[in-house]
Amino acid sequence: MKNGIAASRGIGIGSICRIIEHDLSFDAKMVTDTAAEKARFHKAIDEFVKDTNAKAEDIRRLIGEKEAEILLGHAVMISDPAMSGEMDKMIDSGQCAESALTAVCDMFIGMFSQLDDDMMRQRVSDIADVKVSILKILLGIEDVDISKVAPGTVLVCKDLTPSMTSQIVKENVTGIITEVGGKTSHSAILARALEIPAVLSVPGIVDEVKDKDTAIVDGTEGIVFINPEGDVLSKYMLKREEYIKRQAELDKFIGKETVNADGTKLELFCNIGTPKDAKKAIECDGEGIGLFRSEFLFMDNTHLPTEEEQFEAYKEAVETMGGKTVIIRTLDIGGDKDIPYLGLEKEENPFLGYRAVRYCLGNIDVYKTQLRAIVRASAFGKVKIMVPLVTTVSEVRSVKELVSEIKVELRAEGKAFDNDIEVGCMIETASASLIADLLAKEADFFSIGTNDLTQYTMSVDRGNSKVAYLYSTFQPSVLRSIQHIIKCGKEAGIPVGMCGEAAADPLMIPLLMSFGLDEYSVNPVLVLTARCIISKWSKEEADALTAKVMALNSEEEILAVLKEAVKE
Amino acid sequence: MVSKKMTVKNEQGMHMRPASLLSQMAAGFDSSVKINFNGNAYDCKSVMFLMSACIKCGSEIELQCEGADEEDALAQISQFIEDGMGD
Repeated sequence: MKNGIAASRGIGIGSICRIIEHDLSFDAKMVTDTAAEKARFHKAIDEFVKDTNAKAEDIRRLIGEKEAEILLGHAVMISDPAMSGEMDKMIDSGQCAESALTAVCDMFIGMFSQLDDDMMRQRVSDIADVKVSILKILLGIEDVDISKVAPGTVLVCKDLTPSMTSQIVKENVTGIITEVGGKTSHSAILARALEIPAVLSVPGIVDEVKDKDTAIVDGTEGIVFINPEGDVLSKYMLKREEYIKRQAELDKFIGKETVNADGTKLELFCNIGTPKDAKKAIECDGEGIGLFRSEFLFMDNTHLPTEEEQFEAYKEAVETMGGKTVIIRTLDIGGDKDIPYLGLEKEENPFLGYRAVRYCLGNIDVYKTQLRAIVRASAFGKVKIMVPLVTTVSEVRSVKELVSEIKVELRAEGKAFDNDIEVGCMIETASASLIADLLAKEADFFSIGTNDLTQYTMSVDRGNSKVAYLYSTFQPSVLRSIQHIIKCGKEAGIPVGMCGEAAADPLMIPLLMSFGLDEYSVNPVLVLTARCIISKWSKEEADALTAKVMALNSEEEILAVLKEAVKE
Repeated sequence: MVSKKMTVKNEQGMHMRPASLLSQMAAGFDSSVKINFNGNAYDCKSVMFLMSACIKCGSEIELQCEGADEEDALAQISQFIEDGMGD
């Protein structure tokens, strides 16, 4: 078994075909019959131009005009007087074709890589591609034709280049393993687009395998098996069947409403960390943003972000969501994070210290800048403000007063905003849970943050391995806390959401449904999974299970009962 | 020798496609065809040199032709550049 980067989900099982990088070294000899050498050279160029035009035609048909033009450009480049013309002159002076080709191409590669223009610098890889392709023809090296590999092939290569990927036939390639590349590399993006399971960055894999070896590519876990022994193969064949079945089942939920088995509609939102993630939320079929963490603006920065900088970022996310709800959490930060320009002091107990809303209300200028940016972004869609780490009613009141002040200012400045913008609070401390009835009278909505709620309720530092066993959202105390928060929200007539990891947990969903949770906010990739699980539970079934669970004394018993009842 | 000053209008400047069209057109004339830009002269018959000039949208360039068919070359090529080089 080998580990790599899980770059494209799914399980692929097949026979290996290695794509080997050839040794392109040659003897730079002098030639006497320059006419014959030039003829050999031009025969190679003609063959290259013919190949390239044929490939470009394939790509035009399969992918598009723009992609085809890049390849056609290769043929234009080599035919240029400054390219083949110069190479001819060098051959005339007695150099061999390989030397002439390499010298002129390398000269242009050097020249283009120094240009102050991104688009032109990209031509460097084109010139290098041209050089390698013609060298292969001159040296008589034949490439594997990827477009002709047999069905059930697992490609193993150093790196997947664009010209290689353009030849992949999706039906024939069941998996991809490479030695280099990360989750966002070109190879990874293409593998995901083609929906081929891929594991990248497996060191030394090309030299360790032979053609026709059997390979298992687990692109979900980032694991590769070569010639698996014992029952590994049969296990994975079963796993593969299950994955395909499950994917097909989840695909049925694309574009569907989120409803439970009774047909009651629930909201399924996404948690995101940057404006760009909003696109992902849309792609994954999220119905809104239940948690937009604003920390990225402050963490990846050298200065306090200005109102305009923040406004642009919030506006981008809001516009991407096109009228769907975007709940922006205000700055959630404290002494455990080093943000030099904020001048936060290191604290003995940062999680119990000067952080989140406590810091913000102590630094009104910083907070007001952020709130102004958020309120202004509300002119472009449906924005809600969420206050983290609330422990007292007065904190919520203070934030609401600030928002009212800001509205007056913005109106005077003639700036647009949504006058009905809601202010809600995260319920993630023991105090907030206990006074949820009081908070519900001030807040427009609740969102339960299960990670912190569990930590504060159980009084456990989950980073401390000696006590980490206590950290569980399924502890009777944490479940009671969640139940109480939702009940208080319901009684006051405000919506209650959850933006912690628990909202997508198949064991937790029936309990949340029974408690009456309105909005589930999950990682974008879990939207369909959560929608599928929700669809399987009726309120009556969820209530029966919850009654059983809430009567139990320990986390162990609760988990045992839930695992028995789970519907995946 | 004849020459004419003009401004490049196509959005992406002298990228692969316009450069390759322009070089093919220039190769059809006996005259030498050059673009003077940023203090350098670039041979229009070479797509590689044209691209290396980094001519962008809004760049001020001077087209210069010299040879038997210089008038024709200048007229046709300048027309092509001013029309946006096929973009």
